[in-house]
Amino acid sequence: MLQLYFPVLLFILVGIGLGLIMLALGSLVSPNRPDPEKLSPYECGFEAFEDARMKFDVRYYLIAILFILFDLEIAFLFPWAVVLPEIGIFGFWSMMIFLAILIVGFIYEWKKGALEWE
Amino acid sequence: MPSVATLAFDYVPALPEIVLLVSACAVLMIDLFVPEPRRHVSYWLTLLSVAATASAILYVFHNTPVRTFGNMFVADAFGDVLNFLTCLTVILMLVYSRGYLAARGLFRGETFVLAMFALLGMMVMISANHFLTLYLGLELMSLSLYALVALHRESGTAVEAAMKYFVLGALASGLLLYGMSMIYGATGTLEINRVTTIIFGGHANRTILIFGLVFVVSAIAFKLGAVPYHMWVPDVYQGAPTAITLFIGTAPEFAAFAFMTRMLVGSLAAVAFDWQGMLIVLSLLSMIVGNVIAISQSNVKRMLAYSAIANMGFMLMGFLAANVNGYSAAMFYVVTYVMSSLAGFGLVLLLSRAGFEAENLDDFKGLNQRSPWYAFLMLLAMFSLAGVPPTVGFYAKFAVIEAAVDVGLVWLAVVAVLASLIGAFYYVRIVKLMYFDDPVDKAPLAARSDMQVLLSLNGLSLLFFGIFPQQLMGMCVVALTRSY
Amino acid sequence: MTAQTVIFYAFAAILVFAALRVITSRNPVHSALWLVLSFFSSAGVWMLLHAEFLAIALVLVYVGAVMVLFLFVVMMLDVNFDKMREGFRGYIPVGATVGLLILVEMALVLIGGYLPAGATPSPGQTGPGYSNTSALGRQIYTDYAFPFEIAAVILLVAIIAAIALTHRTRRETKYQNPNEQVKVSRADRLRIIDMPLEKKE
Repeated sequence: MLQLYFPVLLFILVGIGLGLIMLALGSLVSPNRPDPEKLSPYECGFEAFEDARMKFDVRYYLIAILFILFDLEIAFLFPWAVVLPEIGIFGFWSMMIFLAILIVGFIYEWKKGALEWE
Repeated sequence: MPSVATLAFDYVPALPEIVLLVSACAVLMIDLFVPEPRRHVSYWLTLLSVAATASAILYVFHNTPVRTFGNMFVADAFGDVLNFLTCLTVILMLVYSRGYLAARGLFRGETFVLAMFALLGMMVMISANHFLTLYLGLELMSLSLYALVALHRESGTAVEAAMKYFVLGALASGLLLYGMSMIYGATGTLEINRVTTIIFGGHANRTILIFGLVFVVSAIAFKLGAVPYHMWVPDVYQGAPTAITLFIGTAPEFAAFAFMTRMLVGSLAAVAFDWQGMLIVLSLLSMIVGNVIAISQSNVKRMLAYSAIANMGFMLMGFLAANVNGYSAAMFYVVTYVMSSLAGFGLVLLLSRAGFEAENLDDFKGLNQRSPWYAFLMLLAMFSLAGVPPTVGFYAKFAVIEAAVDVGLVWLAVVAVLASLIGAFYYVRIVKLMYFDDPVDKAPLAARSDMQVLLSLNGLSLLFFGIFPQQLMGMCVVALTRSY
Repeated sequence: MTAQTVIFYAFAAILVFAALRVITSRNPVHSALWLVLSFFSSAGVWMLLHAEFLAIALVLVYVGAVMVLFLFVVMMLDVNFDKMREGFRGYIPVGATVGLLILVEMALVLIGGYLPAGATPSPGQTGPGYSNTSALGRQIYTDYAFPFEIAAVILLVAIIAAIALTHRTRRETKYQNPNEQVKVSRADRLRIIDMPLEKKE
């Protein structure tokens, strides 16, 4: 059973290996003559003004969290779709109730304007 | 393969939960279309929904336990009584906090809807017959409560309180899940009543079971706020808006009590000897630490938080007797504690107004001169929390001490009496401030008439049940004996 | 040692190492990336347990979505992490002692009493037609329908809480509304005034 996933493992190993080889080749083959000026941070000829990380607007967070919630909903839909013929009408309706509750949430976020950027 | 039998669930026992869920979704939708000046429409709809839920509980009241949804849900007298009381508490909370919320921009649809979902979470917990539903109910309740605390975004202390509540609550949930997974490992089932059967059948790995029990008891102590898991209680009580503090300090106590009963009595009664020892430590520390630290508090909310810790210690003392007398004494204690706490926080809310938080003990100075009736109600609440006769708190303390003495824990009972003597000091201090000092703040006290009536009834009930406790005590005994 | 055992230990070793790096790395963005690696390795471990659906869900939901959220939060908080770390070393003796004590206590309890291999029946080898996804599906939507609906309510509460806590209705930027621009009619823009001619004197 798990043998079926062998290609995936192989893919991961090849991916890691290829990445390592390229990095290793780069550092081995290319000339490497650092001096303090080359290593110092560079920003349009000036000294760096501030941290490279800058503050994000909280709205990105709202979009991301709403995305996660509906991502989870989709994750629940997968097994349901696979076994729908077996779980019958009861299984169908239990998913419909689940979706109905989340649609209430969806209407709420739409009407509140949480999906609008500005 | 699902058989037809498992698919034909009986929905009637869950009618209250269904009513509450549908109406909470309806209020959420209606609130979107209600213009700001008519926000009270959502408020009244919320009250109506909770009242409808409470009537549904009375309608389906179960004298014998009924299990449904594949044994995950149990409806019994114990659950129905606690569910009903939780609904009543939420109604009182909504009525008491209306003015306070409106003055702080919190009179919003979200507040009501989150309160309803928190109530739903409590009801799911109270009716749980499966570790999974117990946990999901707990998460539903906690998530709503975290959001309610943080809802006052302009207040830095509220956000800080929400953060502390959330981080420590998540830690407690982690402990709980770890403990539950250990119990699952030891017994091979998550169904609460089957865990008991398997332990009594001798098929459980005892070491793993006790190991899991330690974590479960820690999580319960976290939720109850028992020492040494009490650190979040004072900060959250103080930081949250008072209306939300009132909520956190009352209704979830029922849920936490039901949670403890379902876990320790419903599924782990076979190892009662082991959890008894743990609860003795928790109870002893809570009573002493809570009462001693409360003396040095100058903030009323913080003082009531330590009072909550101490009172949970007393409740645990009844519970750890591990017999019907002890459980019913503990249940009676929770009910009366919530009643007294509702009245106490209700008066703190009454003294607050727009732009002014009644938080310090000094705000109670001379309350008798401002309004003798409210001073009297506060006196009843404080006496009840302290356990002074003839209020109901006296009988509650008497019952738990009696339960502890019956199982031979005389030394614990002696400590409890001493702790309550220490505790009486800070409750009586408020009474002294109200009656013998001159008011600092002379603003007139205004409250809506519905709040006045309910608060007065709430306060007087402390006196009524103190003189006639038999009915209430009888209800607790019957609820427990019909369920366990 | 079978190949599966080797793969398990490889994933487990990476998982433990990555998890350690999450809490020890100085830069929170690095911590988040190490967390991605630890999620990925635990997905590998789950895969070895035949929990395929959960493994994929872990990668999709946690690595795909939750980690993005983590990075947003790290970026959003303008926290000076070096300043926060000040005095951190002062807590190490107490923290390490407590942690070690708990670890030793737990180990002492469990070493003697842990379930020996074979104490519980093995779920058995699954056939080639076995699908973890459909096995889960058969349970979730029928026997576990009640907790499944509560999960929906928890998600709903999460939506409400996220919006109530972070959404602001105030608009900060000025912008054009193309809809209104297109709908504009001549009457909105142009006003013709009838002025009587003035005669020259």
